[in-house]
Amino acid sequence: MQIVEPSSPHAAQGVRPSPIGVRRAALLRNEDWLSSFLGLALILVAASVFAAGGSIKWLAVAPQKWSHASDVLQQLRLNGVRYAALFAVWALLLGAAAAALGLGAVKFWRAFAPVFLVTAAIYFLGLWDQAAHYNLEPPLVALALGLLFSNSFGVPRWLDPGLRVELYIKVGIVLLGASLPLTLLAWAGPVAILQAAIVSLITFGVIYAVATRLGLDRRLAATLGTGGAVCGVSGAIAIGGAVGAKKQDISVAISLVVVWAIVMIFVLPLAARALGLSTGVAGAWIGTSEFADAAGLAAAQTYGGYAGKVAGISGHPDAAVTAFTLMKVIGRDMWIGVWAFVLSLIAATRWERTGIESRSGAGEIWKRFPKFVVGFLLASLLVTWFASGYAYGEYKTSVLPGLVAPLQALRTWAFTFAFLSIGLTTRVRELVAVGARPFLAFTAGAAVNVLLGLFLSTRVFGAFWSGLGQ
Amino acid sequence: MSCSTCAHFDPRPAAVEAAFPGLSSLSSAYAAVRAADGLCSRHERYVAASSVCGMHSASTCTRQS
Repeated sequence: MQIVEPSSPHAAQGVRPSPIGVRRAALLRNEDWLSSFLGLALILVAASVFAAGGSIKWLAVAPQKWSHASDVLQQLRLNGVRYAALFAVWALLLGAAAAALGLGAVKFWRAFAPVFLVTAAIYFLGLWDQAAHYNLEPPLVALALGLLFSNSFGVPRWLDPGLRVELYIKVGIVLLGASLPLTLLAWAGPVAILQAAIVSLITFGVIYAVATRLGLDRRLAATLGTGGAVCGVSGAIAIGGAVGAKKQDISVAISLVVVWAIVMIFVLPLAARALGLSTGVAGAWIGTSEFADAAGLAAAQTYGGYAGKVAGISGHPDAAVTAFTLMKVIGRDMWIGVWAFVLSLIAATRWERTGIESRSGAGEIWKRFPKFVVGFLLASLLVTWFASGYAYGEYKTSVLPGLVAPLQALRTWAFTFAFLSIGLTTRVRELVAVGARPFLAFTAGAAVNVLLGLFLSTRVFGAFWSGLGQ
Repeated sequence: MSCSTCAHFDPRPAAVEAAFPGLSSLSSAYAAVRAADGLCSRHERYVAASSVCGMHSASTCTRQS
């Protein structure tokens, strides 16, 4: 969205931009499409280089296991140019996206440089051979470090343009699509949709019922309900707009989601670890019970990191993130437009008048559709099609290390930028006071969500999620 | 006349992120789910651009969505 001020040429001449220009502007001012373009561009380049006999391995550099500080110095000496090149590529791509969003490329670059450096340090720390012993999983370290810094010293405002959690996480999710075959999405997608639908409907019902019983406004109840049941802060802002909620009520819902989501990042992996859940089952539980994509991916990636390092935790490390993504992105996020359309209709026809009349139609479903899901599905389709030209043995020995693994490394970088940014942008002092009634309503839904999600992930669909990725 | 052409309506992502602390921690005002919603300073609500009300005030700005 853009407002052309009266002093601008458009307004001065009374000229409205052409419909094509308007559509193009909307396309470029949307993080979802931009992240899809960036992710797919990286995949296309990687596939093209691979088809020509090469690999982007050189660029997609990642730290290796180390024991002593001298090992780190040695790695930096050997790969310093590769890290510099990787920084340049990320800065170029993400800076272009920031410019398209109107954030300013130069301002973004200035802020992104320290984000990249700290992310690299956290990535190295996670590869220390004692990291698992001290629970130094990169997502948790990034988050904890960011939270500590932002809430004790404060974050200078010039860093803000570089702390784009959603842009980073969506680029990472699109890249994640490259490592998930389309057949897996078709096989596991319906189960994820079924489990997520059960939990979403019940959680929304609980929050809405408790909130209205406590005398809260229906629009606030619906905003809290979708924040807890569908897609966290994004759900709250989407439904808040669709039903025309009070500004203060949306702030309340956002504060509750942020606080609960941060708590869950630390609690869910610990609880799953105590229960000895396999990575696939834990990922499905986190996908059902976490509120936001970025928060859930931090929890799921943390848990995946336990596989093979913590006794009693079985499954492939990637199964946690895969199950989480299926549950959250395919099972919950995709349906936000439907929730918005239905609730806007109910608000307009059944709830008390506000003086504002909603004119939303079925087009609302596509308008609010999280378009990065299109990028995620296209990424999966693209790599599935590309890999179909290789025999299974060749895929394992050639395509996996030469094409998929470098894209996974880039994904880890993007996710870690996001995890650090969550911590640095969560400033507890800036969150609004929420009051007892919204807190009780949301907490009741969160409790049901966690218990029901655990029951479905372990008892009803446990065998299915345990087998994921095997 | 819809809210999208109203002087009281502000859909700019920067304004939305400033109005809702915590929004950029786990989401974004630049996300597709927000569609063309914006802040209504007349009713102190956050509303869809396609909404209408009796207090519409024609904007002197040209808005792009």
